[in-house]
Parts: sequence; C-alpha cells; structure tokens
Amino acid sequence: MEKSTLEAQTLASAIDIGMIDLKIAEFYVTPGGFTGLRYGENDHNRITLRRAFPIGNPEEYISVADKTNKEIGMIRSLSELTKKQYEIVVSELEKRYYSPTVFEVKSVKDKLGYVYMELLIGKEGAKYKKNCAIKDVNKNIRMLDDDKLAIFDVDGNRYIVESLVNLDKKSLKRLEPYLF
Amino acid sequence: MKTFVPEYIISAFAAQGIDTSKFVYATHTDFADKSGYLDSYIAVSNEKMYILYGEEKVVKTSGARRIVAVYEPKELEIHDLSSLGELTLERLLSTGRLCNEQDHETSILLVFSIGFISDIEKLIKVVKNIRDGIEPLTDILVDEELFCHKCGTRYPEPNRKLCPKCMDKVSITRRLLGFFGHYKQKVIIIFLTMLAGSVFSMITPLVGTKFFFDEVLMEEGSFYGYILGAVLLILLVRAVGVALNILYSYVLARTVPWIVQDLKLRIFEAMQRLSVGFYTSKRTGSLMNRVNQDANNIYWFFVDGLPYVVVNLFTFTGVIILMCVLNVKLALICFVILPIAIIFFRILWSIFRRFHHKNWVYNSQLNSMVSDSVNGQRVIKAFAKEDTEARRFAEVGGKQALVDIHAMNTSSTAFPLIYLFMFLGQVIITAIGGIMVLEGEITIGTLLTFIAYLSMLYGPLEFMSWVSNWWARCVDSAQRVFEIIDAKPDVTEPDNPVILDKIRGNIELKGVKFEYDPATPVLKGLDLSVKAGEMLGIVGKTGAGKSTMANLIARLYDVNEGSITIDGVNVKELSLTLLRNSIGIVSQDIYLFIGTIADNIRYAKPDACTEVVIRAAKAASAHDFIMALPDAYETKVGAGGQDLSGGEKQRLSIARTILQDPDILILDEATAAMDTETEASIQKALFDLQRGRTTIAIAHRLSTLRDADSLAVISDGKVVESGTHKELMEKKGEYHKLYTIQLEGLKVINMEA
Repeated sequence: MEKSTLEAQTLASAIDIGMIDLKIAEFYVTPGGFTGLRYGENDHNRITLRRAFPIGNPEEYISVADKTNKEIGMIRSLSELTKKQYEIVVSELEKRYYSPTVFEVKSVKDKLGYVYMELLIGKEGAKYKKNCAIKDVNKNIRMLDDDKLAIFDVDGNRYIVESLVNLDKKSLKRLEPYLF
Repeated sequence: MKTFVPEYIISAFAAQGIDTSKFVYATHTDFADKSGYLDSYIAVSNEKMYILYGEEKVVKTSGARRIVAVYEPKELEIHDLSSLGELTLERLLSTGRLCNEQDHETSILLVFSIGFISDIEKLIKVVKNIRDGIEPLTDILVDEELFCHKCGTRYPEPNRKLCPKCMDKVSITRRLLGFFGHYKQKVIIIFLTMLAGSVFSMITPLVGTKFFFDEVLMEEGSFYGYILGAVLLILLVRAVGVALNILYSYVLARTVPWIVQDLKLRIFEAMQRLSVGFYTSKRTGSLMNRVNQDANNIYWFFVDGLPYVVVNLFTFTGVIILMCVLNVKLALICFVILPIAIIFFRILWSIFRRFHHKNWVYNSQLNSMVSDSVNGQRVIKAFAKEDTEARRFAEVGGKQALVDIHAMNTSSTAFPLIYLFMFLGQVIITAIGGIMVLEGEITIGTLLTFIAYLSMLYGPLEFMSWVSNWWARCVDSAQRVFEIIDAKPDVTEPDNPVILDKIRGNIELKGVKFEYDPATPVLKGLDLSVKAGEMLGIVGKTGAGKSTMANLIARLYDVNEGSITIDGVNVKELSLTLLRNSIGIVSQDIYLFIGTIADNIRYAKPDACTEVVIRAAKAASAHDFIMALPDAYETKVGAGGQDLSGGEKQRLSIARTILQDPDILILDEATAAMDTETEASIQKALFDLQRGRTTIAIAHRLSTLRDADSLAVISDGKVVESGTHKELMEKKGEYHKLYTIQLEGLKVINMEA
C-alpha cells in the first residue's frame, strides 16, 4: 500500500505544473480595463484567470492563460502575491466568478416546479434586493460543504450563502426544505 | 421605443439632462464590478449610448400607492456612437462584458451578470442596425415577450411563456379535461354514478339511524315494530350505494388509461416534430420522464384525485345542508369546530409535504448511487473502493431513515391529537344534543343522525386540505406536457417548399454564422462550396465547427446568419423530407434502435428485401461480424440488446446509409472509432459509396482525405485555407503543419500515412 502511494507520488511529481515565477511576473490593468501580465521578457496584454477549484479552494491554483487560451502557468496561492498584485488578480477573478453573498432570504415561494426567492444580496457591505427563479431545486440549490450553500437561478446567476449557521433564523427556516 | 424599462427610470435619465424622447432602445442590467451589485440602465439613441449606474429602491409613501419604486442615480457615462468601434460581447462564467473594439484595441464598457446577456446582445444589434442605416429595432424581439402581460414578472425561462404567479390552474385543468372529450358518454356515466353513490351514502344515516330510531323503534313512529322491513331497507340503501361505487370504479378504470394513452401519444408525436435544438437545450434532460412520469401524475390525479374531489365536495355540501335541516343550532356549533379542524389538517399536510420532499430527494440520491455503483463496478473494484461506496450509501440512507423517523413520529403524535380534537367536537355535540333531547327539543334519532353526519364531514375535510397540493402537482405536470405539445420546432417546413426532381449536389455556404448558446459563436462567417459529384475534405481541430457545419447542411439546425444552398436553392426553401432523404450522414455518434440488426440496416428503407440488406452489409464490411453472431441478422441490438463494438456499430451505420442511397454524403469522422485494419477495410466501402455523389468528409486522420478533390481547413469557425492536398502542402500553412505533425506521429509508431 505504502509502496503504491510512493509510486503515485513519484509519477505525479514527474509532471511539471508550470507554476508562475512570481518574482518575474507583474500583473497590470490595461487602459481598456483588461488584466495583463508582464512575465519575464513577454508582455501578455490580455490574460484569462481561472480557478482550478472555484468552489472549494478559490484562493489557490489559479490558471493564467494568454489571449489564445494557452496556459502561461499557474499561481499556487494568491497569498504569495503582493498586496497590489493580489488586488488586480482578485478583481479579475471576481468578474469571472461573480457570486454575490446572500445576507437574507426575504421570501420563498414554491410554484409549479419553480422556486421564487427574494434575496438580500451584495458584496463588501453594499446590500441589494434580488428576485430570482430557480428550477430543479435539487440540482440548483447545492450544499458546498456543511455550512456553505450555492443557489443557481434560471438566468445563470449564482449566489452564495457563506454560512448557514450565521444566517438569521427566519431565512434559515425558509431555506430549510431545500437543504440536503 | 420597445423596452421594459419603467417610466421612473426614463425620468431618472431625463433628470440628468438627457433628451429621452430620442431613445430607441433601453434595457436594465446590473454592474458587477468593484462596487458590487448596482442596478444600471443602458439606453441608446441614434447618436449616443448612455449608461446610468444607480440604486433601485422601494420606499413607502403616504399617497394612494403606499409603496413606490425609486431610482437613485450615482454615475452616468455617455458615449458617442460615432466614437465607438465594434461592440462585442464576451461571456465569462457568471458575468459578461460589453466590449468596444477599436483600432486593434479592446476596452470594457460594461460588466453585467450573465442573466442580462440576451438584453445586451439585443443592444449590440440595435447599434449595428443604426450604423447600417436601417430601422433600429429590425429583428429585435420585443422585450415585453419576456415578461408576463398580467403582472410584469419576468418569465423564469424565456422559451417557456409561463408566469407561475398568474398561471390559471383552472384553464389548464379545463384543457386537460378536453382529453375526456372522446369519452363523453363514459364520463357522464362516471359522474352520474359517483353523485348517485354520494346521495346513497348521505341517506344511509337518515334511514339507518333517524328512520330506525324515530319511526321504527318509537311507539309513535309510523313504522313501529317493522324491524325486519327496516333492516332490509337499510341493507338495500347500502347495497345500492356499494353497487354504484363498483360501477363507477369499473367505468373509470376502463376510461382513464385510454385518456392517458392519448396524452402520451400526443407528447410522443409532438417530440418527433421538434427540432434537434429542442433536445439539446438545457430543459430537455427530463423529456423521458415527461412522457411517463408527468402523464402518470395526471393519471393518478384523475383516477384517485378528481373523482373524490367531486364526491367529497358533493358529500360535504349535502351533509352541511342535511345538518342544517335536522337542527340549525347544532349545525352552528359544528361550524365553529370545523374551521379549527381545517387549520390543523393544513398545517399537518404542509409539514408532511416537507418530509415527503426530503424523502424523495434522498431516494433519488440513493437510486443514483445504486446506478453509479452498478455501472462503475469495474472501477470500484479496480480501486478497491467497495467499502467507501458502501459508506457513502449508508450515509445518505441514514439521513433518509432519520427523515422517515421524524415523519413517523409526527404522524403518530399529530394524527391521534387531531382525532382526539375531532372526538372532543363530537363529545360537545353529544352533550349539547343530549340536553336538547332531554328537553324534548330534538329526538334521539335526530341526535344520533347528527353525530353520524359530523363524522362523515371529517373525511372530506381531511381530503380537501391536501388535495389542493395534489392538484397543483397535476397542473404542473400538465403544464410541462402542454409545453411539449405546444412547442414550435425551430426548423420548419417552408410554406411552399421547392421540390427538385433530382438533387445534383452543388453545395454552397456563404457567410454562415451559427451559435448554440448566446455569445458563444461556433461558426463566424464560413464560406465553402462543393461541386456536384466531388469530394470535399474538412480538416480542423476539435471544436472548430466541422460537425456543426454538417448539421447545418442537413438542416438539423438553421443558420443564424448567411445562407446554405443546394443546387442554388436555399435549404430553408427546400422540402425538408426531400432534403433529409437526399443527405446521408455517417457520423461518429451512432445510434442503433431497439430491434434486430436487419431492422436497423433497413431503417431508411423499411421495405428493402433481405438480399439488399445483406448486400448493403457486405458493402459496409459488416456481413462477416454479423454472421459470427448466434442470431446473425436477427440479433437484437439497441438498449438491452447485444453489445457491439464502436467499429461494428459504425459499419451498421454505413450499411444503413448505403441502403438509403443519398445524393449527398456527409462522413463525419466516420472511421474514428475503428482500428487501422478495420478502417482500411471500410475505406473501400466508403470509397464505393462516394463514387458519383457529392461528399463532404470530416476526418482527423488526414491520410484518409488525401484523395479529396479539394480540402478546407476550418479554424475558429472560419475557413482559413482551401485547395487540393498538393496545393496546401506546397503552401506550407495550417494544413501542412497538421499533416506533418500526424506524419511524424505515425513514423514514431512505424506506420506510414
């Protein structure tokens, strides 16, 4: 058993993930609002950032691809970036994975196969009301871990309840029939 | 201006000093950038584009309309259309970007959450129309079509014009009842026997209690002492009631299954009519369930629900009337007890609904796990994960058991309590009624009859408290069923189809654009042409749009822009039957229907004789493997039938096409699933098949296309190179690169291209 694990490690370590050397990397925002990367002698004026684990581990293993979608490399952890670089990268990631936090569930109505929710959502302090319709609740209201919940509406928007424990009692009661 | 932007938003634009009378289009989006969620509105006039960021709020006022929506603008951006370049849309995961491409530079104009992507697409189209000098709203779907006309709620799905807030359950039920139209006589018999049965149930206490006690047992009664006669009468009344129930159940059981069969057939026929796009869209995952499960939901409601709704409503009303006739005072006391019982029942059923829902979800999860485990047994065993899988199953099973325990605990506590409450009501009536009997106000027969009627009310009450949920489920199923029946196919037969005597096979694609999902273009202006009888080889990487092009030629989908012509006639004008019969597709996705191998080969020509079937199989190099099977051509294939390898299935598919004898042949990776030896044997069959017909061959292995009359390299939805093999090799472009890579690869494994 131990031997096979060791072999697997050897096999895995033979593959180079191609981590970005952050010492020679500089992320920047182009005048057009896109994110670019100066990497060594190369200047990629438009890059795409993708999370390898967008739900379970959004801060680690970030893929950086160029304009043609060819991967330049990966960032092992966002914590390795300087504050300024972190802000640029996170801002770009937030645009791709925009998932407002649900602060309150104001109402839930189950009608003819659709669940209508009135949510209080937002990011960084600003809160807004949002009405959304969800179909196939078993598929589109998903527990991400024991405490975190994702809601996907029919328009393709996604909302995250960061902590069910910290949600107010009324909201939790409204969501309760859909939590599995 | 066609838009669904409310008037107070237009006022907010006006308050910024903008002449809103010039707006030609306006739409709502949100802004998901640094500041989080904002309600932004974007409007377009013939000269400018305005983006207004702000917050939309609902505030209380003192006027007649106590609550009004207000908009607080925060920032305004104005762009001259003349100063903007080409507007493009970029789709991210849960957001989209409206971009401005100008002088080889791209800048972001707006970020929005993905739900608004179709609105922004329309905006881009409006701007394009303005620039092209045509009416700005040409080809723009009216926004109002996306919203409910009654309440303004956005439809949950744009393709499903259904507002669950306003949906009229009654009209859907009425439409459903329309299926009973062919069985009018039986339906009339059902209802008459049901009602007559209810009448006999209601008069049973009158005869069995009041009549017996007051008229037979009492000295002053009209039939004093006629016990045998009274008992026979009671028995007769009961027997007639039972006979009527048997009769109605019998007729019902012989009627409803046929109605459901009609419904299933209508769904199935409608599904055959729909375009491929309907099946590949998101909402078709449960189509099979719709045919069976939804039709069954409807079946059970009509067998076990609706008849009892009628019976219970009739009984409830009749009993109330009889109670009032017997004694108004006692009846009024009942009217106090009954609503409390209704409330209890409703609360209880809403709790049980949650339990049932949870139970249903866990059950589905367990079913999926069993299915996963059965299909993945080899992998489970290979990784020695039997225990892990058992633990996963036990975990979910445990959760389901807990739900069951809760449900049973609730049921075993709540129901006895409710029945105790109902008994209490009966005790109160008995006490008050007893006093009234002692005071000579009512007879003992009246009191006992009254108590019997009171207990007759609880059944209908309990039933009516939960049947509404059942009805809602039935209406939901019916709505989904009607959605298929009413769906209009994307690809339709033209009103006056062109029927060509003979298709020669000149094919031309001009500026073809196509996308399966908004903002994800697959073909971006593709130009191609094939002369009749020639072979065109299509080369390109995976996802370049090669198979999509084949689907468009066969009109499985319609192009978004541009045109496809066959012998100079647009495929949209050609008769669909003629077109499909004239095109044979041998693709990488092979489907064998449930039936014998011979049936599957005969699919295109069911009347083909045995000899022709064998000849087609031989031509497709399928005969030898078929004969090696125990039942040869009569071997059952398809779901539950004989397992065939990818190469064997492919050969059957080629035999099927040989029998079809099409004018145009599309080979879409026809030999991709085969080993080199089998491929070589089939290449000959394909070569014979291609002779004299226009052929479009899509292949990864470029060696198979070397003999094509011309080749086209598709990349990113466009043709980037075309010419003969020789010309393209000399050009040393994309084709040369691909060919050399493959050649080198084959050399490594000691093979020649």
